[in-house]
Amino acid sequence: MTNSINEIENSEVLLVAGSNTTEAHPQVARRIYDAVDRGAKLIVIDPRRTKLASRAHIHLDIRPGTDIALLNGMMRAILDDNLADDLFVEMRTENFYALRDMLYRLDLAEVAAVTGVDQRLWQQAARLYARARKSVICYCLGVTQHICGTNNVQAYANLAMLTGKVEKEHCGVDPLRGQNNVQGACDMGALPGVFPGYQPVSDPKARAKFEQAWGVRLPAKPGRTLLDMTHGGGNGPVRGMFIVGENPLLSDPTMDKVRETMENLDILVVADIFLSETAQLADVVLPAASFAEKTGTFTNSERRVQMVRAAIPPLAESRTDAEIVIALANRLGYSMHYQSTAEIMEEIALLTPIYGGIYHDRLEESWGLQWPCFDRAHPGTPFLHKYMFTRGKGHFVPADHQRPAESVDEDYPLLLMTGRIYHHYHTGTMTRKSAALNRECNEAVLEINPADARALAVRNGERVRLASRRGAIELKAGITERVAPGMLYTTFHFAEAPINRLTVADRDPGSQCPEYKVCAAKVEKLT
Amino acid sequence: METRYILKKDHLAPWLRRVAKSHRVVAPVKNRHGDTLYAEIDGLDKVELDLAGQPQASAKSFFLPQQEVLFTYRTGKGGYEFHEPATPAPATVYFGLRSCDLSAILYTDVVFMGRHKDPGYRRRREGAILISIACHQPHPNCFCHATKSGPFLEFGYDLQFTDLGTRFLVEAGRSRGETLISQWRPFFSEAAEEDVKLQYQLALEANGLFRRNVDVGCAVRKLAEGEVAEGIWRELADRCQDCGGCAYLCPTCTCFTIRDEKLGPEHGERLRCWDACTLEGFSRMAGGHNPVAREQHALKRRFQHKLRDDVHKHGRPSCVGCGRCVGICFGGVDIVGFIDRLSEEDLP
Ligand code: SF4
Ligand code: SF4
Repeated sequence: MTNSINEIENSEVLLVAGSNTTEAHPQVARRIYDAVDRGAKLIVIDPRRTKLASRAHIHLDIRPGTDIALLNGMMRAILDDNLADDLFVEMRTENFYALRDMLYRLDLAEVAAVTGVDQRLWQQAARLYARARKSVICYCLGVTQHICGTNNVQAYANLAMLTGKVEKEHCGVDPLRGQNNVQGACDMGALPGVFPGYQPVSDPKARAKFEQAWGVRLPAKPGRTLLDMTHGGGNGPVRGMFIVGENPLLSDPTMDKVRETMENLDILVVADIFLSETAQLADVVLPAASFAEKTGTFTNSERRVQMVRAAIPPLAESRTDAEIVIALANRLGYSMHYQSTAEIMEEIALLTPIYGGIYHDRLEESWGLQWPCFDRAHPGTPFLHKYMFTRGKGHFVPADHQRPAESVDEDYPLLLMTGRIYHHYHTGTMTRKSAALNRECNEAVLEINPADARALAVRNGERVRLASRRGAIELKAGITERVAPGMLYTTFHFAEAPINRLTVADRDPGSQCPEYKVCAAKVEKLT
Repeated sequence: METRYILKKDHLAPWLRRVAKSHRVVAPVKNRHGDTLYAEIDGLDKVELDLAGQPQASAKSFFLPQQEVLFTYRTGKGGYEFHEPATPAPATVYFGLRSCDLSAILYTDVVFMGRHKDPGYRRRREGAILISIACHQPHPNCFCHATKSGPFLEFGYDLQFTDLGTRFLVEAGRSRGETLISQWRPFFSEAAEEDVKLQYQLALEANGLFRRNVDVGCAVRKLAEGEVAEGIWRELADRCQDCGGCAYLCPTCTCFTIRDEKLGPEHGERLRCWDACTLEGFSRMAGGHNPVAREQHALKRRFQHKLRDDVHKHGRPSCVGCGRCVGICFGGVDIVGFIDRLSEEDLP
């Protein structure tokens, strides 16, 4: 996030896109409600009528995967009404004319047709957003999990830059991150092309620094992306995998392909706290310790690095992830020794400029520090892009609407989106072990519009067969107006109804994020 | 009039140490992260007692554990065999209970030791000696003066301590408390009249220190008369994030669920665990029907139970004004906000 979560409360206009915030980020949702109580206007862009959408002042219920078209329409409205922030565009951005030309060529009727949203509605939303002094955009996986995910994000950034809604408090473009530490994992270089702190592996200076610190030669080429590993591509098949705390068998698209890859590995090692579906395929399973058993840091959505302290020692023979990695490294002949996790943090501070001033002792007594935090005296950074974008000037990248990888047709007439629900987390490796959460929800439900249900003669609660070109599962139908006619929605939490057997593996070329949000499907009654 | 005593602060630890020889002692302790919680004290010199801060959780879990084995079972040739575990319930002195927390125990007594006596609760409760500390430093969210469950108590305690600066004024409410004094009588002296006056003065001042002015009576009346608009419930439900935190933390929320856990092919156990009426699954029937629409009424049951049904049944609300749910609520829809809303409606 470029902002801090608390800033949301004081925004005047909130544009929330592709985020079922109440269920996925309740803490952020609370701030949104608070802001609305204080008079803020809420615009929600979501194909589903989520709880938040039903409370919105304007709900733009676009067809899945049509964000770019909608945003182009909105930006055009802003140009037409002279609401662009000319000074900001002039001083802080580049390539505006390319965007402008594209917007002036836009066919507004086509935007309405593609998105399925009334032109007046998006124009109103654009005006609201552009006129307010403090407008913030929050987006989530409904924006990124498309083959055009990177362009989608860029489109939201274009909108923010066009209206000057960045670089100041209460203004910005905020991705909401799902896991407690996904930000931290990325920060620490758990990405194919970067070292910790987003220092590119291709940069000889960065490489030299890490080579010197670690006493090894490091590759100059980025590694493979997740889907390259599980779905082939790149340079030949992967032969061994060490998977830590992830369950790709259920979470990656096109499950049967993932299983095939896993089964063909020479060796699969999985470290997890429970025996997940992926772990069941492993040659070696290393029992890992849970959050309650380890000391270290988590970095949340707003770049806040916070301490977590072991409440109990690791149970039975489990070990913390750090201990596992250290022990493995030593066995593989690389000598690795740390006295404590605080010492690891010191190394992070030494090698990662944005974490340069973050040490355990500074975190002990506080609610954490937000990076960038360059040295011990640095107070941390509540919002990014103050005075200048990280890359200098903000660059407009005009984008055109791109059709999703798969469209509905006669055989598969319904459009399936996948996502999450409140009570479960991802593939349920943890949450489905909890009796309390299972009581709340213990079964996958396929959301289907009453009109479609009627046409298929499906009753509420009836088990149905859901199929795509890649596979089929059985699950319970839940009839609801939350999804529009022609659309379906379900979650990927349940191993009994593994939805990723159906989803497409097509992905965004930039982020490599698969298009979990659009897949053509059909529903059949069970006989 | 009951006898009042003085215990010099210097004598507190020595006295407690002696009490601890024959009792388990539970008291508010500041842990290494700076949080104060009621905890069993194992060696008085090793811990930091905190009699000023409000413990973050109440003493509920000592009487109604978050999870409790009701019985274990085994299947054999003759069918099921059940075995009730004999949970040990040692004689325990609860020292330094806040007035609200002690009042809450009196309420849970009504629930678990009324007509039906719950064996586990009773075992733990019967061996308990309750020593409260009168509050004259109310916390920002407290409103026990409005629920009449503090800050100074008039009954219910075995002993009540009042901090008079260098010394405690000690009142014995029941014979069990009296025994703890008479056993170590040399530590205690009889209170002088000015001590009693000082306590009276502190009690008066304490009432003026509350930062929240909560009109509980107004909420009770409106709920009794069914005057709460549907829109209010709906708004509360919208904001409630279904976390159960309020109920878990509340000293008077006693809802539980029963769960059977299979531990092997031939044996298992039945557990009783805390539950919360704000959760959707709490009232969902086996067929999926839910008589309470969570979307509209997530908090209705909780507030009605506390402020209407219990008034009807026991003559007083079962919210003891500890303010804990105010601090914990993820959604910002705590009971104080609710009560304030109802009383604000009447303002011109
Ligand atoms: S309802 Fe809230 S304030 Fe009242 S007793 Fe329970 S936790 Fe305390
Ligand atoms: S603490 Fe607040 S959000 Fe959580 S269940 Fe209670 S009312 Fe709902």
